Amino acid sequence: MNCNHEDTANSACCSLFQSKSDISWRASRWWPLAAVPAVALLLVVFALPFLLLAETSLHVDQGLAQVSADFTASNYLTFVTDPFYLQILSRTVAMGLIVGLGCAILAYPVAYFVARSDGALRACAIFFVLAPLLISLVIRNLGMFPILGESGLINTALKWLGLANEPLHLMNNLVGVEIGLIHALLPLMVLSLVVAIQSIDYEVELAAANLGAPPLRVFFRVVFPLSRPGLISGSVLVFTLATSAYTTPVMLGGNRVLVMSTFLAKEMLNALNYAFAATCAVMLVITSVLLGALVLRNSERYGAA
Amino acid sequence: MKLMFYLAVGLVYGFLLLPVIMTGWSSVATSPMLTFPPRGFTLEWYQAIPGEFMTALKVSLEVGFVTTALATLVGVPAALAIARGRFPGRAFINLFCLSPLMVPTLVIGVASFQFWVRAADLIKFNPGGTLWGIALAQAAFTIPYVIRAALAGQANFDSSLEEAALGLGASPARVFFRVTLPMLMPGITSGAIFAFLMSLDDVPVALFMGGGAATTLPVKIFTSIQFSLAPYVMAIATILMVMSLALMLALDRSFGLEKFFGIRQTTR
Repeated sequence: MNCNHEDTANSACCSLFQSKSDISWRASRWWPLAAVPAVALLLVVFALPFLLLAETSLHVDQGLAQVSADFTASNYLTFVTDPFYLQILSRTVAMGLIVGLGCAILAYPVAYFVARSDGALRACAIFFVLAPLLISLVIRNLGMFPILGESGLINTALKWLGLANEPLHLMNNLVGVEIGLIHALLPLMVLSLVVAIQSIDYEVELAAANLGAPPLRVFFRVVFPLSRPGLISGSVLVFTLATSAYTTPVMLGGNRVLVMSTFLAKEMLNALNYAFAATCAVMLVITSVLLGALVLRNSERYGAA
Repeated sequence: MKLMFYLAVGLVYGFLLLPVIMTGWSSVATSPMLTFPPRGFTLEWYQAIPGEFMTALKVSLEVGFVTTALATLVGVPAALAIARGRFPGRAFINLFCLSPLMVPTLVIGVASFQFWVRAADLIKFNPGGTLWGIALAQAAFTIPYVIRAALAGQANFDSSLEEAALGLGASPARVFFRVTLPMLMPGITSGAIFAFLMSLDDVPVALFMGGGAATTLPVKIFTSIQFSLAPYVMAIATILMVMSLALMLALDRSFGLEKFFGIRQTTR
């Protein structure tokens, strides 16, 4: 009884303070004003340009960066009926899927290692996963040249091991782009999996092992299924960023791999076809972002978590 | 089995770090470019860096500072409004401010370019091709990160400290500058550092919004290697890399990388 009393007194006291702070902080009518600069700036540098781009995609190119006055969906019709553009689209999606798969396979060992270590080792392990992520992409792609080139690390190693007579072509083609993108996006997949794996109780793994499951079986029957939410969100992120990447496809594709992003840039810079470039940009957003969002939504609905 | 696992972990770490190491290694090697392993040691490539690349580095740093200042100055108040205000449309503002993350930076670059070309017809002014043009467009995708970091720094904010200060008679303005802001500082600093790193990383936006005197170093490297790859490119890239690593250490110090990337281990 006494205890209860004290509780009521406490909460009354609390609510008194709360209401005071509510008056001065939370309930202030002036808070929305603090968001005005950001919203205004984003309107000018992001929302308006993007809406205008979507609008441009509904006009027809009239040469020399000029567009027609009337609205038409003909750009989109061209895009979805012409095999040339559909091939670019399917190549982009296939590349995104391969990069996602590659990242998932490579990320699991490292993510498990990070999630199950602690102290200085963990800090170190995390630092070396994140270091590449925060270094400019241009530099990381440059570093790929001495590795993937004709007399680079991989081809030298293969020749030394006697596994290949002719150097493999790992650069200036789609393979090079995919390797570069896997390298660029691997840290993000690792991060996503680390979060998922460290939320799995280690006791569950121990129990499975105690009951006689060999390590690989523990992984495929316990760790893998329980980390699926992290795998799905990581894969969606990687797919989205891979399909919309521009820097790596140009640098490691030797400027001749045609995916959505590189084609869009060519339309802008070389063909000066603003209208069709805008169409490609909208299609790129639809492919990379909406496809990913759809997967996430479905996985939530069907209880993958 | 255990050995296989550690071997796999080691190989993946090798894959992650090798390109970074190769850039630095190639920058001091005397052997021809693109051969493995690089041989010899020389610093001549650092002396051979052309002036235009050093100018581009300067432009990059200037753009980085302007972008970061812009994003932080508008992003932090917005984060405070989202975290503390109780007003209708708050969720929408949050969504709106984070929406640039959904759009590829290439599309932001192309959209900005076309937008300013068309706007120039009306306002007789086009920031495209200048430092400001790049910074404005880069603000689009850095503001969300600044807001996110400031919100994360706000997550375990103990508002009883503010209440105590208020209760002891401090004016709201004094409480804000002496209690609230210092407590939010780690989140704000890490957001700013990340914004700077994002600006240093960006090619697509700086490519479309820059040009001429406003060419950033990543763009300069990006366009120059399409013709030929000179050893001094590895040298200037290494300089940029060392700068990024220093900023990353600062980020780790100010906020903690684990916390910043949301992978802090919860105690079980």
